[in-house]
Amino acid sequence: MKLNPMDLYNLLPKTNCRLCEPKTCMAFATKLALGDISPDKCPPLLEPGFEKNLEKLTELVAPMLSAESTGIKLDESKCTGCNNCVVVCPVDVAAEPPTSEGKAAMSKDTVFRVENGISKIINLEKCRRFPPDKLNCRVCEQYCCTDAIEIW
Amino acid sequence: MEDIVCNGCSLLCDDVAAGVSGKTVNSLGLCKLGHMHLETALTHSVGSNEKNLEKVADILIGAENLLLYGWTHTSNEAVREGLGLAATLKGKFASSTDMGAMKAMAHSIHSKGLEIDLEYVRNNGEFIIYWGADPSESLHRHPSRFAVLPRGKKIPEGIESRTIGVVDVRQTETMKMANHRLIIHPGSDAELLNIINSELEGKSSIKGTVLGIPGSELVGFISGLQKSDCTVIFYGSGVVNSGNHDANLTGIAKLVEALRSNGKEAYALPMFDKPNTMGVIKATLTGKYETNSLQRLVAGEFDTVLIVGEDVLANLPGPVAKALSNTKIVYVGPPGGLTDNRALVSIHTMDTIITGLGTMTRVDMNDIQFKKWKPSKEDVTIISTLIKLKELVNKKKS
Repeated sequence: MKLNPMDLYNLLPKTNCRLCEPKTCMAFATKLALGDISPDKCPPLLEPGFEKNLEKLTELVAPMLSAESTGIKLDESKCTGCNNCVVVCPVDVAAEPPTSEGKAAMSKDTVFRVENGISKIINLEKCRRFPPDKLNCRVCEQYCCTDAIEIW
Repeated sequence: MEDIVCNGCSLLCDDVAAGVSGKTVNSLGLCKLGHMHLETALTHSVGSNEKNLEKVADILIGAENLLLYGWTHTSNEAVREGLGLAATLKGKFASSTDMGAMKAMAHSIHSKGLEIDLEYVRNNGEFIIYWGADPSESLHRHPSRFAVLPRGKKIPEGIESRTIGVVDVRQTETMKMANHRLIIHPGSDAELLNIINSELEGKSSIKGTVLGIPGSELVGFISGLQKSDCTVIFYGSGVVNSGNHDANLTGIAKLVEALRSNGKEAYALPMFDKPNTMGVIKATLTGKYETNSLQRLVAGEFDTVLIVGEDVLANLPGPVAKALSNTKIVYVGPPGGLTDNRALVSIHTMDTIITGLGTMTRVDMNDIQFKKWKPSKEDVTIISTLIKLKELVNKKKS
């Protein structure tokens, strides 16, 4: 499930008070959906009367906390260790060229490596989605057959 | 970490590594299935088998109608030794490839020259079709190692350079990667193959929905077949176990031939899950071997059955398993499982993934050599047990 900025916007005070860094409620909602800001950065939301809205927003963005800075969330319970993510990841192919031919990743230089039958992200900072580049690469999610990888 | 070869399924992955530290095993590259298989194999504790060897030899010599069964989890060398032992004991040699249409299917494909090296598929396979097969559930690394995702000589962009089709009776996980998803009614494979073949020959025109598939989707699929320079069909248990396997396999063979007659490359490969199914089939391609073993077991024709390397009681159909459990079972293989528990005498051996000895045959008929590693023990293998058994039998007979 991905967050829709409009759903988040509807839970904000919609006052455009300019007390937050994004300045407008719509911009705040967009940043919330991208995981770039947390709900408690909206000062009016912390005031009495918005408790339920804050609670709902916190609940909605909670999975983002596990998505870390790239937005990639890897559910190990769904992973079968098929190596699809290793083979399609352009960073892995550059770091360990045999992976482009379907070989398993053996080095410590790749983003993904299948360890003990489950894919692990061993170098998150090398992911093309990692700040500051934040490229909109989603190949690992696209070819993960079991939906173990989700990008928020 | 040391390089190993995994025998968790028929892909026999030889690009993986594992290491043991105390009671913990760590692996790199092994899929979940392979890692769990390795973990289980490492828990097996195998001691001296000398006393049981004597007992087994006596039982085998005393058997009136002996069957030697199992084999698909053993190495090619063990299969050869098993064939020799069967000849010495004048017993019948059969394997779990007799179940369903597995052997017939492999024979048919082999005799028509439809198979191809999986490395060739990686380098050239342009249109990949999974027909009645869902590798996401059974052969996890099939798409990433050979057929869908890897780049090859004529496939510079990996999956971007290929077209993927999946034909199944339900929505499968593999369909997530597919360009063409054909969900058909159970048992209508042969009918669909006939329609595709007729279309390729220009004898029919598809209008409206066909067998539950929208006409435009089917036309797109056939158009993909016509455009592809190299088509590979991976067919699985859905094709074999849908009750119409002869017609299904004939249809696949016809489709391959139709594509070839248009000057294109086309191949068909099975998707077995047991590690050495193809090795057993290869070893028994020539010569006279028991082909009706299951029927003869049910009829109670065998009084003694030597089962090697496989927990067959867990896999056989109910009536056969029941009939088998009424015979004298002697078991040679890794400990644990229904067959081992039911056996009159068992000789426990280490799994081939641990012993690292011998070869197994991958689905594309390539022999894969196992690799020795730290936990390997040569004296508790299936092959060494079979050799000792044969020597004992010869000694006792003379």
